Amino acid sequence: MLFSLDPRISRLELPESAPAPPDKAALDQFPTYEVFHQRKENTAYVYVGPVHAPEADVAFLFGKEQFSRRFPCTGMWVVPTEAIRVTEYGDDQQSVYDRLPLLPADVLAATDAAVTEAYDIFHLKKRGKAHTHVGQVQATSPEAALQAAKAAFGDQRPVVNVWVIRSTDLLRSDEADRDMWTTTPDKKYREAIAYKVQDRIDRFKQEG
Amino acid sequence: MYGSASTHDIPTQATTGLENEDPILLAEFEARIARGEKIEPTDWMPQLYRKQLTRMIEQHAHSEIIGSLPEGTWITRAPGFRRKMAQMAKVQDEVGHAQLLYSAAETLGKTREQMLSDLINGKSKYSNVFNYPTPTWADSNVISWLIDAGAIVNQMANAKGSYGPYCRALDRICAEEAFHLKYGHDAVVHMATGTPIQRKMMQEALNRWWPAIMTFFGPSDKMSTHTEILMRWKVKMATNDACRQQFLDMYVPKILEIGLTLPDANLRKNEDGVWEFSEPDWEDFKRVINGDGPCNAERIAVRRAAEENGAWVRRAMQQPKAQYVRPLA
Repeated sequence: MLFSLDPRISRLELPESAPAPPDKAALDQFPTYEVFHQRKENTAYVYVGPVHAPEADVAFLFGKEQFSRRFPCTGMWVVPTEAIRVTEYGDDQQSVYDRLPLLPADVLAATDAAVTEAYDIFHLKKRGKAHTHVGQVQATSPEAALQAAKAAFGDQRPVVNVWVIRSTDLLRSDEADRDMWTTTPDKKYREAIAYKVQDRIDRFKQEG
Repeated sequence: MYGSASTHDIPTQATTGLENEDPILLAEFEARIARGEKIEPTDWMPQLYRKQLTRMIEQHAHSEIIGSLPEGTWITRAPGFRRKMAQMAKVQDEVGHAQLLYSAAETLGKTREQMLSDLINGKSKYSNVFNYPTPTWADSNVISWLIDAGAIVNQMANAKGSYGPYCRALDRICAEEAFHLKYGHDAVVHMATGTPIQRKMMQEALNRWWPAIMTFFGPSDKMSTHTEILMRWKVKMATNDACRQQFLDMYVPKILEIGLTLPDANLRKNEDGVWEFSEPDWEDFKRVINGDGPCNAERIAVRRAAEENGAWVRRAMQQPKAQYVRPLA
């Protein structure tokens, strides 16, 4: 049996050595969702990173724990990674909209006739930074949404990369639940500012 | 914390494989880095860049997970409610950092399942300092302050590296580390300026940990072809020696001012402002990192048990139609 200085570990009665377990099966860790947060009221949602989760509700919980635990947050969106339409990446200082191939006229014409849906558009302004929400457009497909985004937001520069997400694919925090974001001020002990150690050091030095 | 300041297993002799890369793509890639732009996951990148970054970020992630164990063990026995809450918050942060880092590594093509398997099968390395035990609360404090401090030196450098997803993760991690460092310093100062018994306990813990701390940044760099290329590609941002010197410069005075001593008679700053010290025992380092340390078996066994105990939860939540897609950024 494995002996540890931590009695709780000794009590697990783990074997001293054991054969290596088989490699994990694919998707043992679940698919990924991408998470966006809003740091302050009335500011744009910004990409914060992925989480692995079996479904959107759980992804939201994981995202809340991972990305709002330590910093102010007033709202969160999650979306399955596979639901994001990604353009190619351009260089810093450029706009990928400039390189967008034009859709054939009949496709664009069909756009007007068919029933449109809302799409959310996110821009990456600089490589290494995070995608930021710029607004919504109405379109019949992600490709058409990208064209509409170019018309609506194409004057913003630079745009290194664009994410297009069908709005109904985003799970969004509810205004009615906004009190879920108000827990952080109680936990001063996890802020650097709560530790004022210099007084004690000075006193120690004086007492020498 | 815990960016194991040196990446273990950097190949030193083997070929760089650059002769097999497309010269035009390679030139564009290097030009992008030279003008200060970040690389994003879908960009073309040389095999060596992908391989080395994957290994580095993965080891960093493992170090966060394993590094939370020696401190986690003191949560139940922390002296007082305030310390217990803070210790818990810190451990939770470290595990959160691992999640961020696994995702960043995943954008390079290695799945999270494979990384976790490699950790519990002993194929992957993590920061060697966590193969040592924390016999007292003071040992846990030394980790919180000085191992974190070492990791921050390294992480602040790496946050200026060239890979976008790693930079994004490190920005967030560095922001959280500020609390860890202050908390660790506060805990050490509390003991070091306390009763004679507390002082003694802290001094003994520091004596136990100092040799490991001196190995934290890895052996002195030999400027091999690899090191040179990895620095040009902004994968490695500072040499091991530079990181170690910076750490000593920042923290030796802070250790001495609270009346603690360091167990190395040769430690001193020479006239050129360079720290001199006794060469750490690298043979012992090699032996421990290859599995023969006081806590290697326990760390892996605990991690394995956690995986096994959680398996039924993951099975219950599996969605049969789920498909794997690499995270985007």
